[in-house]
Amino acid sequence: MKRVLTLWLALLGPLAWGEDINPERALFNYQMSCQGCHTPDGSGANAVPRMRDVVGMFLVTEAGREYLVRVPGSAVSALSDADLAEVLNWIIQEFAGASVTVPFQPYTPQEVGRLRQHPLPEVVQYRAQLLADIASAKQRE
Amino acid sequence: MKSLDKLFEQQARQLAQRSSRRGMLKTLGGLLVGAGSIPLLPVARAAAAEAPARPVEEGDEANCDYWRYCAIDGFLCSCCGGTKNTCPPGTEMSPVTWIGTCRNPADGRNYVISYNDCCGKSSCGACLCQRDEGDRPPYRPDKTNDINWCLGTSSAAYHCSTAIVVGVAFENK
Repeated sequence: MKRVLTLWLALLGPLAWGEDINPERALFNYQMSCQGCHTPDGSGANAVPRMRDVVGMFLVTEAGREYLVRVPGSAVSALSDADLAEVLNWIIQEFAGASVTVPFQPYTPQEVGRLRQHPLPEVVQYRAQLLADIASAKQRE
Repeated sequence: MKSLDKLFEQQARQLAQRSSRRGMLKTLGGLLVGAGSIPLLPVARAAAAEAPARPVEEGDEANCDYWRYCAIDGFLCSCCGGTKNTCPPGTEMSPVTWIGTCRNPADGRNYVISYNDCCGKSSCGACLCQRDEGDRPPYRPDKTNDINWCLGTSSAAYHCSTAIVVGVAFENK
């Protein structure tokens, strides 16, 4: 019975994930609020950080997960909490690839609404410290 | 409880007699293959074709009134040796850009337009076009066209602007 249940969950999993994201709306919001700097495929350019194949590494620590919402481009964007949560989940789904190494719990509008109340005043140093913490967390694994 | 047991046992036995295990596999396999072939049917393709990546367009791209330029602020690359989609020779297109939406009068739909600047040469000087629809003050830097968008290029010298259709605007139905 357990096996059957697992099978069903495995079958339903991707469907449930797909229902959370409206791909047309998420793409449009990405284009209007993120793509200008992060480029169409998330590669970034010069000082604009790359998201493609790397953004998932932030999910390793709680502070890293929160960073993706608190970074100014997210926190102070014109997007609603629901739209921001959707576009973040879409970015993880579309761009993160193999950089996601832990089970990803999609962002909810409530979580995003709470975290974006605390935008990061200084990003460059914070990010460097965060990446150092993530690297040592990975070493401990 | 016993009668329930009996009922289920009876039904299970009946089911086992009526159906084969391979039959189950056959049905499942048929469903899998069948579902997979749905996108191959012409109906599915017709539906996908409804969202045109290349819109039907009217007008002169070397004119400031051209529909794609609704939010532009700069020199039109179409007048500078390039086109609405491409940079003039000797310049480099900035990957970092500002993005807005314009309504295409030919089909009445709103499209997402990326105003990629062409950089690496001094200002073109021809066909200055400033329409600024949806332009915001610089406190919304991602939605202002007053800053120099030659940001991802080797040179920050601004030459002219393109207006590339990158998608269809999402509208809540």
